[in-house]
Amino acid sequence: MALFSVSKTAFLLAFLSLRTYQSEVLSEPLPWAPESLKVSVNTTSQSLHLQWTVHNLAHHQEFRMVFQIEISRIKTSNVIWVENYTTTVKWNQVLHWSWESKLPLECAKHFIRMRSAVDAAKTPGPRVWSSWSSWEEADVQNSLGQDLLFVFPKDKLVEEGSNVTICYVSKSHQNNISCYLEGVRMQGEQLDPNVSVFNLNHVAFIRETGTNIYCKPGQGDGIKGTVLFVSKVLQEPKDFSCETQDLMTLNCTWDPGSDTGLLKQLSQSYTLFESFSGKKILCKHKSWCLWQVAPESQDMYNFTLTAENYLRKRSVHLLFHLTHRVHPMAPFNVLFKNVNATSATMTWKVHAIGKYYTLLCQVELYGEGKVTQHNVSVKVDGVHLFSGLEPDTEYLAQVRCANGDHFWKWSEWTHQNFTTVEAAPSEAPDVWRNVKIVQGRCVVTLFWKPLSKLQAHGKILFYNIVIEYLDRTSGSEVLSIPAPASGTELPLNQCSSQIRITASNSVGTSPASVLVVSREPGNEEVEEERVKGTEDGFPLSWNPQPRHVTGYLVEWCEQPRDPPCDLQWKNLGPNVTSTVVSSDAFRPGVRYNFRIYGISTERVPCLLARKTGYSQELAPSDNPQVVMTNLTSHSFTLSWKNYSTESQPSFIQGYHVYLKSKAGRCHSGSEKAVLSDVPCVGWLIVPPPQQITEIISILTYFCSFEEGKVLIKNTTLFSSPAPTLIRILLPTVFCILLIMITCYLKSQWMKEKCYPDIPDPYKSSVLSLIKSKENPHLTIMNIKDCVPDSIEVLNKQEGTRKSFTETESTKPTYLYLLPTEKRYSSPGPCICFENFTYNQAASDSASCGHVPAPPKAPPSQLGLLTSPENLLKALEKNYMNSLGEIPAGETSLNYVSQLASPMSGDMSNLPKNPPEPALCSEYKMQMAIPLGLASPPSSGSSSLSSITLLDEGERYH
Amino acid sequence: MRAQLMWRTLPSLVLGLLFLSTPVMGSCLDKDQELLRQLQKQADIMQRTSMLLHPYIQSQGLDKDGLKEHCRERPGTFPSKEALQRLSRQELLRALDTMLDHVLHRLMALQRDIPKAQDLETVNRAKQNIRGFKNNIHCMAQLLPGSSERTEPAPIGPGTSPSPTPTPDTFQRRLEGCRFLHGYHRFMHSVGQVFREWAESPSRSRRHSPRRGLRKGARRVPLSRGNKRLLPRGQLPR
Repeated sequence: MALFSVSKTAFLLAFLSLRTYQSEVLSEPLPWAPESLKVSVNTTSQSLHLQWTVHNLAHHQEFRMVFQIEISRIKTSNVIWVENYTTTVKWNQVLHWSWESKLPLECAKHFIRMRSAVDAAKTPGPRVWSSWSSWEEADVQNSLGQDLLFVFPKDKLVEEGSNVTICYVSKSHQNNISCYLEGVRMQGEQLDPNVSVFNLNHVAFIRETGTNIYCKPGQGDGIKGTVLFVSKVLQEPKDFSCETQDLMTLNCTWDPGSDTGLLKQLSQSYTLFESFSGKKILCKHKSWCLWQVAPESQDMYNFTLTAENYLRKRSVHLLFHLTHRVHPMAPFNVLFKNVNATSATMTWKVHAIGKYYTLLCQVELYGEGKVTQHNVSVKVDGVHLFSGLEPDTEYLAQVRCANGDHFWKWSEWTHQNFTTVEAAPSEAPDVWRNVKIVQGRCVVTLFWKPLSKLQAHGKILFYNIVIEYLDRTSGSEVLSIPAPASGTELPLNQCSSQIRITASNSVGTSPASVLVVSREPGNEEVEEERVKGTEDGFPLSWNPQPRHVTGYLVEWCEQPRDPPCDLQWKNLGPNVTSTVVSSDAFRPGVRYNFRIYGISTERVPCLLARKTGYSQELAPSDNPQVVMTNLTSHSFTLSWKNYSTESQPSFIQGYHVYLKSKAGRCHSGSEKAVLSDVPCVGWLIVPPPQQITEIISILTYFCSFEEGKVLIKNTTLFSSPAPTLIRILLPTVFCILLIMITCYLKSQWMKEKCYPDIPDPYKSSVLSLIKSKENPHLTIMNIKDCVPDSIEVLNKQEGTRKSFTETESTKPTYLYLLPTEKRYSSPGPCICFENFTYNQAASDSASCGHVPAPPKAPPSQLGLLTSPENLLKALEKNYMNSLGEIPAGETSLNYVSQLASPMSGDMSNLPKNPPEPALCSEYKMQMAIPLGLASPPSSGSSSLSSITLLDEGERYH
Repeated sequence: MRAQLMWRTLPSLVLGLLFLSTPVMGSCLDKDQELLRQLQKQADIMQRTSMLLHPYIQSQGLDKDGLKEHCRERPGTFPSKEALQRLSRQELLRALDTMLDHVLHRLMALQRDIPKAQDLETVNRAKQNIRGFKNNIHCMAQLLPGSSERTEPAPIGPGTSPSPTPTPDTFQRRLEGCRFLHGYHRFMHSVGQVFREWAESPSRSRRHSPRRGLRKGARRVPLSRGNKRLLPRGQLPR
């Protein structure tokens, strides 16, 4: 209790004494006021640097003091910064303090003052300050130089996104100064008449060489500017790691991240500091650094990697044991010894990483598509034996190592290739044969498959063939076929033989493959079956053989078999009765023939089954060439010879025949005929349709039910319902036509012979002569205007030919056709024209100027004249011809038509009642028409005139 | 005065060193016309602004309106064409050699401000061209009569003066570099024209001594050597 009272009293006394001391200070100037305050300006960092001392500090006396610093800009009253700086002050110590200005210090004057106080933060009560120091001025503008314009700050380095203040100082009086940032004018505020400031917020990185900011007066060339170096934010190094390969050097690496994008001089630096040793190095590279290990003196390392630029510092740490960071170098001197067909020994060396460390090495072997891996512990040299290798095979071996005690990382791989030596082939070649009889001699064609690499054990050089004849009457034959042959053809002395085939390489010979050839052709009578191929191949099955067989063999080949195809075969075990033959060589639309053999214990093959099929059937490649024959009214025959079904890309199962009528509808009932099982040369009788007019097409029909269409031809069939009538009518009509044509031709011939065409009188020269000499008014009489009233019969003596003047003595005989009393009262003049060129005598008699009254003619004569049609026709014809040439109105004379036809049948009656017998008579029909009747009668038609002629004649009956 | 004497003797020293280093530089063509054509072609190549100026402007961000207009040759950095025409052939070659040395130094200084390897490669190619050009100048100087004689430094006036001291300010240094390169290309253009004039009067290349050549040049521009020496430094003769 007493002790407590004493200590309490002592504390109170001490407190009172301190309070007393403080009150004394307050009443007097503080003895530890700041003195010798000096202000310097660092324009690079744009900072004010203050240094001062504290006066009256006793030797070895230390105080914790507070210095209050005031900074004013432009004028002292404009305080922009107040800060309390607390530090421990010793005797005779120069104190320092810096302040970085946002505004470039060149842009304005700054004033600084300070005062101090003892740091009594632990003691209650107000702080007792010393008096203020005097204002210290920091004015850089005085030392700017003689230029008229300045831009500040110079070459400032800032981080991307920060705010920057730019200013210009003009010493000229003109204020027309404009400032630009990368060509874009900036808007600023005037700090004083000669200074303007520009605040740039969130500055961006533009280029590594910095951002150009410049100002220029309105006139003159006084451009000034500054470069603002904008840095990207420095990133913390990533993936910092250290490792050693030899326990001598540590290689420390890291990812520096994205570049700050500044010039080399301004870029960041990396330092490596190890805390245990206290060593520090400046790394020369941005992403790695080498550290020398103190051998056997330090196992633990604590690294600090610091990335630093002017603006920022980033650090990462790493603590590790040296032996846990061993990354061995890659093994070297990898060699192979004792390499034989199936084994090899690999040796290698490793770089030592100390005396007591064991390396774990990993050995890998690549070969034949397989990888094997082994682990081997190694001190200095490594050895490993590879066994179970394949002969004549190239292998790739590689090895890598790691610290066996503390695994950190594998070394890099070291590769080496080697090849095992050859060995004798391990398997007999797979052999098959094809036997044929040529000129009574067996010729066997051997086929063999090349041995696989695993079977050959080296390069096959020869195939050795030994033929042993089974009857042993002949000796053996030995052949050697150089590789890479895959078959040979051998004529055998005897069919029954055994053939042994072996393959040889440089080391040895393979086991033999044995074939037995016998004269028996085998069971060639086996019926061929069809097999349908699938996507997986051809499924084949056969009946198991009751006899003991050593196996089965399936051979196949493309059709046709001859010339020899690429024979393929497949060996199967004795218990197999089905298989699926698949091959990449199978092609759609190609028929493959399969044969299945059973191989007896004597190696004699026996044909068990024959199959044929397509891996995929296709539509027929060509259509039948169809020929139509035997076309009748109710049937026709289509034939397609030479259509090879064997060469088709599918099995032809039948043919479709379509019939179509012209109307476009298929004929009902028989339009489609499915012809199945039609051989390659076939005939088809189509049932008689009712109205078949066209055969449109014939369609090939095949097993996959696709159809190929071919238009053969359009054929028209007869559709008559009465063929018999046609059979009669046609020849009849034909005969009638033939007869008519013949008659016509005959009559024409007769006419030409007996009644030639009468010359045209208008064209006669006599006419012109008569006209000119006797009567200028003489003209041709129109026959229509003439009424025949008499017929003159002329008797002409053969051989008499008189001159024109002698015709007057000739007296013609007239047959009067009309009654006299009905005729004109007096005989009128009638002019008779005769064809002088035809009958000179008649012409002479017709030249008379006066025609006497005709005598009455007997009716028979009239009838003779008028009855024959040809005569009338001829008359009509001449009459019509005359009409055509006589102009109308000029017809004033009668016309006498003259016909002479001694051969006419009608004329033969004339001698019965002739007025005078005559050997040759000529008829002249003369029509005498009075001039008053020269104009046509009331009827006015020629036909009427003819009728009148007939009527007159009838009157005599 | 001492400085002036030093700048006069320096080119001759440089050229002398070039002569001594002939084996290093390789053999020279002994046909002056062919060599002259080669110099013309080199000058034609070196005058192209795409060889240096444009890449520099691009890399330094000076290709902005209101800024690129200030990238003009500062008077006095390189001698004018007229000044070159007044020189004798020997003097011209010496002046060229001196100027190109100066250019090489400036290019090395400019390289520090070029960050991209591509632009650096451009500058390196330009430096190689200059070195090759200097080598040909050396060969041409050997072909000129009286080349073994001791020659005085070429009084080319403004070009021999040291360029203004680069300001520490990056912006000003950048602008000065741009102006310098502009002047360099212009200078090489003038050099090419002068060489072309040489080719147009081939008889002058061998038959006339440098002094006669100088007198011929002096006839074109009525300005004696003495007068040229009196030209104030930093002022182009007109």
